[in-house]
Amino acid sequence: MATMKSRTIFLTGLWKENPVFRQILGICSALAVTNLMVNTLIMSLSLIFVTSMANVTVSILRNVTPPRIRMMVQTLVIAAYVIIVDIFLKAYLPDISDALGPYVGLIITNCIIMGRCEAFARSNPVWPSFVDGVASGCGYAFVLLSVAFFREVLGFGTFFGMRVMPMGWTNWTIMVMAPGAFFMLGAFIWIIRSLGPKEEQKPGVAM
Amino acid sequence: MIKKRLFSVAYMFGLTFFFTALVSGIYEVNEERIAINEQIKLQKVVLEVLGIVPEPGTTDMQVREIFEKRIKVEEREGRILYRGFAGDGKTLVGYAFPLYGPGFWGPIYGMMGVEPQLEKVIGVAFYRHSETPGLGGRITEGWFRNQFAGKRLHARGKEGRYFSFVPAGTARADSELDAITGATGTSRGVERLVNENMKDYLPWIAREKAEGKI
Amino acid sequence: MTLGLSAFVIFFAAIFTNNILLTNFLGMCSFLAISREVKSSLGLGLAVIFVMTCTSALNYLVYYGLLVPLGLEHFRFIVFIIVIAAFVQLVEMVIERTSPVLYVILGIFLPLITVNCAILGVALFMIIRNYTFLQSVAYGAGGGIGWTLAIVAMGGIRQRLRGAPVPKPLEGPGITLIIAGLMALAFIGFTGMIQIQ
Repeated sequence: MATMKSRTIFLTGLWKENPVFRQILGICSALAVTNLMVNTLIMSLSLIFVTSMANVTVSILRNVTPPRIRMMVQTLVIAAYVIIVDIFLKAYLPDISDALGPYVGLIITNCIIMGRCEAFARSNPVWPSFVDGVASGCGYAFVLLSVAFFREVLGFGTFFGMRVMPMGWTNWTIMVMAPGAFFMLGAFIWIIRSLGPKEEQKPGVAM
Repeated sequence: MIKKRLFSVAYMFGLTFFFTALVSGIYEVNEERIAINEQIKLQKVVLEVLGIVPEPGTTDMQVREIFEKRIKVEEREGRILYRGFAGDGKTLVGYAFPLYGPGFWGPIYGMMGVEPQLEKVIGVAFYRHSETPGLGGRITEGWFRNQFAGKRLHARGKEGRYFSFVPAGTARADSELDAITGATGTSRGVERLVNENMKDYLPWIAREKAEGKI
Repeated sequence: MTLGLSAFVIFFAAIFTNNILLTNFLGMCSFLAISREVKSSLGLGLAVIFVMTCTSALNYLVYYGLLVPLGLEHFRFIVFIIVIAAFVQLVEMVIERTSPVLYVILGIFLPLITVNCAILGVALFMIIRNYTFLQSVAYGAGGGIGWTLAIVAMGGIRQRLRGAPVPKPLEGPGITLIIAGLMALAFIGFTGMIQIQ
């Protein structure tokens, strides 16, 4: 694969091939944690860490790993890094760890990470893989923080826990419940797809 | 072919071993810290519900010292009781006992502090739960917990209930508390566990007191 | 530590009031991808029910029988995934050998299930909530049924949508999410059904 400039890789992961609204990956957690911005931020940082580290590791091992077992290897690597993040949160940020609950563990099944390992890291050198991992993570963070912004402000009247809405504001509680998450993400995808370049419908991309 | 298979298996083993060692190592390094976090969390909660609020900026070690100086723990008959004392170490300021029961999603762990005369609640705290963040999860918020402060401990009604939750904003009687809008399941769970734990502990504490044991 | 919630209540709650897809957002990726028509949705759903129930039981046994006694709880992520992957592989092999008919209906969906976050999610949730064995199995079964209910309903709706004038940018995942939101809204109406006595 021709070496791409880091900048291109980063911008592609962030926008053109954004994992959430272009590739429709990683939706589970995108809906679950986005009712509070601080939770979303920590989740995003955790994802950036795991994706980039997993990408780097898979890339380092790419010439040694027997092709047949590569998915198992990827799963093992991803799971290990997620456990590390979990330990780190429990030790240094216990309140956030409680709030995120099982969703940290669910990073393992987050299709984004596996997707990047398969699509990029196993055929590319270490540094570009790292950048790609960070880029996908940032793309994810971007979407989630945007959704969380609306959900928290409209649903709680706060921004990162600080009151921003005027006192007379009635909270749109629906925003922080499940339906609000679905609507916000759907609306977000709608807006982004209307703005972006007309994408040809690729058959079979289904995700 | 066999060589390839063997290599795959050996590779997997080797890799698994490496990562297991890595994770175990990181865990070992942090294990104690995690356990201490848990312990300090509990201690802070006990102090809080007894109205012993450390100054802002108190370190975790200092919290431990305060706890050790001013709280005496009694474990008896399957119950655990925290007796809180004033700065002199002698004057009783209150009793704290754990609250535990199923919430909507999972078990809720809390603590309640009551005055020595068993007339009023000092405070409550809910420190571990699996409720929905932002909905049921709001049981940890100030406004929810402060509702309990100063409430009289008076069992009423045919079921001997201490408190009942009503739709937010409609609490009138002394025994009524505002539920969390959008978190009916959690509110119901909290109502049940608070009442049951109070029914379990308060008469027992009164008895132990009467017998001069505490 | 039994929590006093009967396994029956947990079973029903997992289907209606705490639907693992519409309330807990688990299993979205395959939900968005496969829900285009009822037939495939049903196929995947059945496979999910089967795998979820069995792996809940298996993971419970492995966690409390192996990890806890050895003090290795923090490895549960890896172990659960391995259990799930191994189980799915096994089931795929068995089905392929014994029933070609069943294989045609279910078999192709099995690899998809390994990465279905719902399966792992159910295992993680049941540990956090300290469920007993019976409660765990009830939760797994109910969760699977609830998930299937959601995806089949979505399949039916999307089939009907084919003739409808959906705006281009909303096609596919966009409209599916909005419909899911409406379904989630509807399911909230079930909340009063379960009385936690």
